[in-house]
Amino acid sequence: MSPVTAVSLWLPLPLLAYAAGCLYFARLAFLENRNDERYFSAGHDLSPWMSALLLAGLGLSGWFLLAGTMEIAQGGFSLASLLVGGIAVALPGVVLFKRIWLVGRRLGLSSDAELLRRYYRSDFLALASTVVAALMAVGFAGLQLHAIAHLLSTLTGYALSEPVAAAFLTVLLFAYVSIGGLRAIGYIGSVQTVLLALATVVFAGIVLITLGGFGGLNAALRALAADPAGQAKFLVAGVIRFTAGLGRDTAGGAPTAMANFGVFIALMGLGASPLMLKVVLSTKSPAGIAAGQTWVTAGVFGGLIAIGIAIVGAGALVAPALSIEAILGALASSSPWFAGWLLVGIIAGAQLLAGLGLLVASENLVRHLYKPLFQTGMTRSQTVGFTRLVAGLLALLSLLLQVLAPVALSALGGVALPLAVQLLVPLVGIAWIGRLTREGAVVGVGAGFAAVLLTEPLGYSVLAFFGLELPWGRWPWTLNSAVWGLAANLSAALLVSVVTQRRPIGDEQADARRFLAGIGGPSRGSALGATAWAAVLAWFFLAAGPGLLFGNIAFGAPGASDAFLLGMPSLWAWMIAFWTLGLGLVWFLSYKIGLAADGMVPVEPYRPRPLVQRDVRVAERLRLQRLAIAGAVLFGLVVFVAFSFGR
Amino acid sequence: MSTRASAERTVLVFCIWAGPGFLGAGGLVEGFVRDSLPIALLGIVGICAAFVAHIVVNAWFEQGFSRAEVALGIGGFGLFAALFVSAWAAGELSPADYLSGLAAFATLVAGFIVYLSTRYGMRGAFSRFHHPSPSSHGGSGQ
Repeated sequence: MSPVTAVSLWLPLPLLAYAAGCLYFARLAFLENRNDERYFSAGHDLSPWMSALLLAGLGLSGWFLLAGTMEIAQGGFSLASLLVGGIAVALPGVVLFKRIWLVGRRLGLSSDAELLRRYYRSDFLALASTVVAALMAVGFAGLQLHAIAHLLSTLTGYALSEPVAAAFLTVLLFAYVSIGGLRAIGYIGSVQTVLLALATVVFAGIVLITLGGFGGLNAALRALAADPAGQAKFLVAGVIRFTAGLGRDTAGGAPTAMANFGVFIALMGLGASPLMLKVVLSTKSPAGIAAGQTWVTAGVFGGLIAIGIAIVGAGALVAPALSIEAILGALASSSPWFAGWLLVGIIAGAQLLAGLGLLVASENLVRHLYKPLFQTGMTRSQTVGFTRLVAGLLALLSLLLQVLAPVALSALGGVALPLAVQLLVPLVGIAWIGRLTREGAVVGVGAGFAAVLLTEPLGYSVLAFFGLELPWGRWPWTLNSAVWGLAANLSAALLVSVVTQRRPIGDEQADARRFLAGIGGPSRGSALGATAWAAVLAWFFLAAGPGLLFGNIAFGAPGASDAFLLGMPSLWAWMIAFWTLGLGLVWFLSYKIGLAADGMVPVEPYRPRPLVQRDVRVAERLRLQRLAIAGAVLFGLVVFVAFSFGR
Repeated sequence: MSTRASAERTVLVFCIWAGPGFLGAGGLVEGFVRDSLPIALLGIVGICAAFVAHIVVNAWFEQGFSRAEVALGIGGFGLFAALFVSAWAAGELSPADYLSGLAAFATLVAGFIVYLSTRYGMRGAFSRFHHPSPSSHGGSGQ
């Protein structure tokens, strides 16, 4: 039997078993949902342990295994803040999730978009949340699925073409999302998280065994560091470089400390994304938030990133034959079942993110935008049916982009996390800063989105289409677009909030404020609080800021006689130390300061004032007509401007 | 047990057997293919770990094995035994294969006995198979 035939017989078996498992759990969830009422949020009844697993799995997703390891394989440890990604994902959850859950339960909310819409009375913020969810489902997860389809095609000796592989993965995804809704995502996501984590461990094990253990890996790294040409891979290149950005930067693209800071901030976007909040708002109780964020996300999964992902990436850095694709290729001919199982682990990570993203984006579009604005009379059954339709369209869009326009997919995926970070400001406003006004939140998010788009290829490609050339490239001053966006967002939000303090606020916002004030929080001015602030700032400075430069030499400078004092590259050891300290920090904030652990109170649902029901059908029809006319005018303008000035 | 708890137990059981369980079974087969006793033993360790984890989950949810799980377990054991015996009869087994198979059987049988004795106690485990006739209890007791 030829190797390709052997591969084509054994490789699909784990994949088919995985597909069968997904459909089995989708059916189980469907039966348990019993009716359409529970499709979107599983009856707000997800178990805390399941939520903790899902949140950790979403944080890791397939991204770290596919893109994170590739980044280390190509750039070495210079983008070191990736290795404390577990802490970056956990921190927003520690600060926000408990209070957001309490507000959500009080107001009876099911998603991030609904929270922003009801609290700030802003359709724009709901739209922003929907855009982020759609970008995560179509762009960010689509990129991962695209890479996996390529792997699948290669491993089957191209017996399965890339488009067919991508179609198989998309159909499976759409099937379980549309059948079982959030409950199916919860059940399947738990299994997917475990498979992803195990696959990461096994990949790291394979690398270590092949290179002769941890000592062997570090001996190879030491040899690379001794070569002057390779030393840059073990160093963070200064604090900041005032250049025009990637694509226009003549000095090269070696990551600086501020580039590391930007990546860390972008990863925090994953922790505060609408996907994470959907899981939190669908959970039965907030009792597991502290343990989940501390021990599962920052602890176990943070460790997987700091050690496991680093080992896999470093393996490919010293021996390209140890890249994920190469490992799978070698295993596909010697142990195809094993290659299939590992591939399932990677698929699981990408589909976990993509599935939840599809559900959240389509729910937001239908239930929190279309329905309240254009058709309030939709029944639940119609809403669910329409949501399934939109999920199918989004899945199809993702598939088409994967197959026909991978460059556009890459541009869309690139802005997902930086845009998600912009939602942090209104969310912090809900949980902690009641003085952030509706106007401040709206203008802030708008400014943040604009700044992100103007510092990413997506934005300047669109502007170039209209004939406008920006003088900078991607990430000017080596700062990630997430940081530019956050700076613009915070400035605008604070300024506008200051001048709009006296504007009246909505009933639900007022009630949420009173409710959270009744619960209280960490006491201001206490020694513990001051310690927490100091610890957070110090940790940020040393682990994700300019202090990273100490990591270059703290445990022996690369190439020096005392290099690798701890038997491993100084930066890697530095990051493992700060992952450990970060875990301590997350624990301190969660439990000692009580941001995620204390204050569990019974939540009485908010009762709105009774209002006279008016017939809004005429107004809705008018609104729809206006939208259609505005869309047509906008399209005409775009065509006119592009035709007149564009390239 | 509620439907939701039952579903959660199923999810956990699936996690266990899709992860260490599958790796263990694959490792055992890989050991046979490569005539490698260490790989086969690693596979057996994986299966044992999955079995123990399954029992822990059962205890957590205060439930025993479901009928489907028992049928799948006994079916898998039977299939493995049939393949092993037929390969032995056909003289296809290398010494490493022979040792791997015996180790697997010994572990599975020992695991089964340990499971029964921990769940029902030694006497209770025996009673699962031995149902004494009414006469052995000394008649009707009148």
